[in-house]
Amino acid sequence: MSHELLTARLNAYAVLKNLEDLVVHDREMALFTKDWNIAIRFFVLNGPDAFVEFDSGKCRVGKGGGEKKSSVILFFHSPAHFNKMMDGKASPVPVKGFTKLRFLTKEFSVLTEKLEYYLKPNADLLADPKWVALNTRMTLTTAVWSIPELAELDPVANILSSHMGKGSISLGILPDGPKVNLTVNKDSIVPAKGEIKAPAAAMTMKDMTVANDFLNGRLDAFTAIATGDVSIRGQIPMVDTLSLMLDRIALYLS
Amino acid sequence: MDIYRFDKSQELFQRAAKVIPCGIYGHMSPAPLIPPTSYPFYAVRSKGSKFYDIDGNEFIDYMCAYGPMVLGYNHEKVDRAAAEQYGEANCVTAPSPVMVDLAEYLVDLIPGTDWAFFAKNGNDATIYALMAARAATGRKKIIMISGGYHGVSPWAQTPGHHGLIEEDYQNCIRIPWNDIAAFQKAVDENSGQIAGFIATPYHHPNFADNEFPKEGYWQTISEICKKEGIVLIADDVRCGFRLDMKGSSNYFGFTPDLICFCKAIGNGYPISALMGTEALKQVVSKIFYTGSYWFSAAPMAAALATLKELKKIDGPSIMHETGTKLLKGLEEIAKGHGYDLKTSGHPSMPYLRITDDESLMLHQDWCAECTRRGAYFTSHHNWFVSTAHTQEDLDRTFDIADDAFKALKEKYQK
Ligand SMILES: Cc1ncc(COP(=O)(O)O)c(C=O)c1O
Repeated sequence: MSHELLTARLNAYAVLKNLEDLVVHDREMALFTKDWNIAIRFFVLNGPDAFVEFDSGKCRVGKGGGEKKSSVILFFHSPAHFNKMMDGKASPVPVKGFTKLRFLTKEFSVLTEKLEYYLKPNADLLADPKWVALNTRMTLTTAVWSIPELAELDPVANILSSHMGKGSISLGILPDGPKVNLTVNKDSIVPAKGEIKAPAAAMTMKDMTVANDFLNGRLDAFTAIATGDVSIRGQIPMVDTLSLMLDRIALYLS
Repeated sequence: MDIYRFDKSQELFQRAAKVIPCGIYGHMSPAPLIPPTSYPFYAVRSKGSKFYDIDGNEFIDYMCAYGPMVLGYNHEKVDRAAAEQYGEANCVTAPSPVMVDLAEYLVDLIPGTDWAFFAKNGNDATIYALMAARAATGRKKIIMISGGYHGVSPWAQTPGHHGLIEEDYQNCIRIPWNDIAAFQKAVDENSGQIAGFIATPYHHPNFADNEFPKEGYWQTISEICKKEGIVLIADDVRCGFRLDMKGSSNYFGFTPDLICFCKAIGNGYPISALMGTEALKQVVSKIFYTGSYWFSAAPMAAALATLKELKKIDGPSIMHETGTKLLKGLEEIAKGHGYDLKTSGHPSMPYLRITDDESLMLHQDWCAECTRRGAYFTSHHNWFVSTAHTQEDLDRTFDIADDAFKALKEKYQK
């Protein structure tokens, strides 16, 4: 497994996924994208293949071609090429949608810059509850959507996932923050947004600040659980394994 | 029934978290106690089967310090033996004669063993056993059981945990419990490379029902080990002296090459032992292995007193009987409330699980409700019974369990 490949998969399937929330929870971006009707495909040779679709103010990100016919196809000749683009250090090769180039360089890049703004913390931003709320939501999404990729390609996460047991794990932030879940099947791990009925295990974070510190590794799990800031229930070995797998993300996304 | 509060525990923990990693780390970390806010974090006093927390709450203790307490806390005879030895000599430039007395006593007690080596923790004994197996065979690989626990050395930890490198577990092969075919397959696939097989006498994993060996399991394993020149290591750290004074291998009818003891051996005084056969004495003699406190004499005196007392009163029978009564009582109470409480493992260190909810959440809630009423139950780990638990303790425990089930019903019917 190449390090670049896994980083590319995380970028394509877990980081870009946050565009979905960006156009809902950032007012400015919601307004900016409300009339967009376009499907962009990110095709990486020997790497991930993802779509980003916009329709009536909604954004959907996923694997493969998506439901809409792609109006733009961006080609990357390697996972490293794609990762460089995600770092703002390379450009894609458009293979379809030359007429949309202006859209890509002007409008779409406004959106991706805003995404970057929400993903890169600094001391000032961490003091802004609104920023913290969306950053936390995005960190949670990135975390959960990274798991299937790690389980497949990271050697340690691969061993861990093989002992994970079956069932769903729900993760949520109180009092009314985002909820996500992961369902571990025999051969796959499926992430999803929202609540899940009768999970095998559950992890709940007390509020956005706790969740932000916890998900970003600034709050030790054992301490946070002991004080009740983070609560876990059910099949704890699943939560333990998940937590060890999440710790692997930092090796690939910095 | 009074419901306990843990304000002072939480307060002290806040202080702890500032200066101690995790606040409380390792197996004493409150994290797997679900929810931790229903459990005491700090004990200030203990006596017999009970301990008292920093908030002044009293608990009938079914964890027994995770195994070391076996005769009851602050046991007079054991404490006196230790105090007398402390008065004479403890950690000195040369060991005390009590070391020889203890080794002789153990060698007489445990069938098939010819020597005893002392250290502090169970981990010290399991590492030494692993080194001995490698030294004896000149081979690298160790077979162990998935879900088995042998301490915190890197080889004994499961892959993926922090601080480990791939090489740490490269030579460890994990197979399922009670699966002779898997053992034979591991041996065949690594012909001439297996140094040892380490396992607990019966399987007592966390978060899962505990399992006794199948009929003939240990006997077949022993035969294969003999045939293949594999060192058979019994990790009796947790079960030792709770099932059988002659060691749990005696209980299950097999004779290992090496046996690791800790926990119950000293009733709370820090000491562990590796014991083995004459054939391995020369081998272990060549391994350099020691520690600053491994010759402390007071824990040795305490261990001698503990073993003598356990033997005199037939501790394992008492614990078997008490454990059996405890389990029977709890199963009936659960049934009365419409729940199925499944018990597994040996009655002296049983694992319990309410089967009505596979996620264990119901079971976790019940254990927490019991603890908040004074019966300290964990939901993830096998419990421990001691010879100090009385009928009165059991009766009180039954009242608590009953009240906790009522609370549970209320909560889940809402
Ligand atoms: C079976 C077994 N082996 C080894 C150990 C490790 O012992 P210690 O924690 O004293 O190092 C334990 C501790 O729980 C144990 O239960």
